[in-house]
Amino acid sequence: MHLLPLLLYAAAAAAYMAHFAWRDARVGRLATGLFAGGLLAHTFVIGMQSVQAGHAPLVGTTAAISAFVWLLGLSYLYIELTTEERAMGVFVTVLAVALYWIPALDPSVNPRPPLLRSPLFTIHVASMLFAYASFALACVIGVTYVLLFTEIKAKHLGVFYARLPSLQVLDAMNARAVTVGWIFLTVGLVIGIVWATQIQSSPDPRAQAMSVGDPKILFALLCWGVYSFAFLARRAIGWSGRRAALLSAFAFVIVLLNFVPVGYFLTKSHNF
Amino acid sequence: MRLFAVGLSHRTAPVELRECVDFARGGVEAALSALATLAIASEVVVLSTCNRAEVYAVGESDATAGALLRFFSEYHQVPAERIAEHLYVRRGQDAARHLFTVAAGLDSLVVGEPQILGQVKAAYAAANDLHATGALTNRLFHSAFGVGKRVRSETGLGEGAVSVSYAAIALAKKIFGSLAGLQVLILGAGEMAKLTGVHLRAQKVSQITIASRTLSTAEHLAQHLDGRAVAWTELDTALRAADIVISATGASEPVLTRIRVAEAMRPRRGRPLFIIDIALPRDAEAAVGGIDQVFLYNLDDLRAIVEENLARRTAELERAEAIVQEEASRFATWMQSREIIPTVVALRQRFEAIRRAELSRLEPKLSGLPPEARARLDEITHLIVEKLLLAPTEQLKSVSDESMVVAYADALNRLFSLAEEKPAAKDRPPKSEVPS
Repeated sequence: MHLLPLLLYAAAAAAYMAHFAWRDARVGRLATGLFAGGLLAHTFVIGMQSVQAGHAPLVGTTAAISAFVWLLGLSYLYIELTTEERAMGVFVTVLAVALYWIPALDPSVNPRPPLLRSPLFTIHVASMLFAYASFALACVIGVTYVLLFTEIKAKHLGVFYARLPSLQVLDAMNARAVTVGWIFLTVGLVIGIVWATQIQSSPDPRAQAMSVGDPKILFALLCWGVYSFAFLARRAIGWSGRRAALLSAFAFVIVLLNFVPVGYFLTKSHNF
Repeated sequence: MRLFAVGLSHRTAPVELRECVDFARGGVEAALSALATLAIASEVVVLSTCNRAEVYAVGESDATAGALLRFFSEYHQVPAERIAEHLYVRRGQDAARHLFTVAAGLDSLVVGEPQILGQVKAAYAAANDLHATGALTNRLFHSAFGVGKRVRSETGLGEGAVSVSYAAIALAKKIFGSLAGLQVLILGAGEMAKLTGVHLRAQKVSQITIASRTLSTAEHLAQHLDGRAVAWTELDTALRAADIVISATGASEPVLTRIRVAEAMRPRRGRPLFIIDIALPRDAEAAVGGIDQVFLYNLDDLRAIVEENLARRTAELERAEAIVQEEASRFATWMQSREIIPTVVALRQRFEAIRRAELSRLEPKLSGLPPEARARLDEITHLIVEKLLLAPTEQLKSVSDESMVVAYADALNRLFSLAEEKPAAKDRPPKSEVPS
């Protein structure tokens, strides 16, 4: 059952690739259907885990990755259904498969330690994950922007020219994704800080490690700095178009670094 | 019943003749009514575009084709000898294949252009409104719409601009999304500048500004394009506000230097600038294309895109032709299965005639029976005939191979002497009015 979403995501990725290559409308609909099916199965898995554990499965990096992929999928599907643009599905589904194999192979639900029995924890994690999902979309949109930009600039109209929406549309979508992500990141961080100060008295060593010195928290603040720059630079100094696209593409690398390697190996405060 | 397509197109007739033979000028409805009055054909559709004038008709015999040929010259008052060599006649499944080729855009001047399918639909709708269509044309045109749709969705035939101005507009759309609300700056007021301006105005841009070295010529063009003229000295200000620049001056030195454009980009906050340099010698330095958010295309670049698109369309041609072929043979199968119908009708009439003849022959013996018994007798004999004919009728209707249709019809005609009863339409001798 835990492998079903992974299989459907992988099948969807293959179908999105085939649709990208041959632009057959039926294959495109099949890809969307497979992806929606994968999300449905994923929803079922998360639901089962919630019932089993008695709380939302948000404890630990593996569970967070699962929730992240789920939010990313939902956000992307919303964009696809509202804009009728499927070209970005290739990138999104590949990212989904690249991350989802971790929770698919380790479906056990971590018990929730007493420390995390606060609604603030749930809001914090959910906001952060939604912010990361938005940044992932901004990254995909940014990458496609740069690809299309390069084609037009080089006067060699090819693969992306025929498949992507206009630069203007991609730029506007990128701006929206960064804005939404930045708002949720800010909320998530503020709630996280409030919650961390609340639990300072707890004897749990992880609560003691909640400081700017912890790599996970440091990286999160770094992310906030970079995305705040992206958010403000667009408005104040006209960093739109290619620069904004590149920025959102590279900034997501920091998010990913923080999410997987830092989350698993380096942090002392967030290793639940 | 036979299908005919008679007409001329850009392939067969020069433009002067096409102008004379334009059904759209007097209204397609008028042409349809004229055809209805002449009673040449039982079903008729008139297709008229700038590049073709065609009549699709269903008639009894080849005389219909002759009558249609005469109609072309009489209706348009063009001497028959002037028009005859330019008209083509397609019969039966060739006529169907011709319409499918037209609807797929394969017979268009610009192969794969998408407007033709809409024009075919409009032609059918006009005929349908006047009740000029029938079973055969209904099926024919709906199949043609399907062919057009399949070619469009399954091949890349209609993709990519195939003229320089459309290539430029397609590029602008890929950069800016929609052209509505954009500022266009035209440098120069020559013929090229004017043509491009007309094209862009049709795209509903927000404003067209024209800058020329002599203000009066700029003002003249501005009036023509419903735009605004500015003095050459205000070029830099205009450049800062523009989204698209069409440069077509006759200057011998580059007007759009790297420094000038870079300066204009500074206050734009990353808003893209699309420069189309159609001047010879060039108005923009090549280095302008290296500035961030500036897209520089000259005439050669646009021509290269057009050529690439044309090459791609040629590659898709084969796939489109395969679709047309497939649908044409499917339609031909359906048409042939219809050709057996006169034989079926004749067979049924023959049986019915025998039944009636036998009943009237026995009339003296039956006259003594009460009316209910006679009615019963009539009913029973009728049922016997129906039962005898049920299986053969179904079998005949399912025959789709043309040679089999002919063989079956021939066999039935001989076995039941049908030809004596009712001559089939196609067996009638052709009338003398068929033209050479």
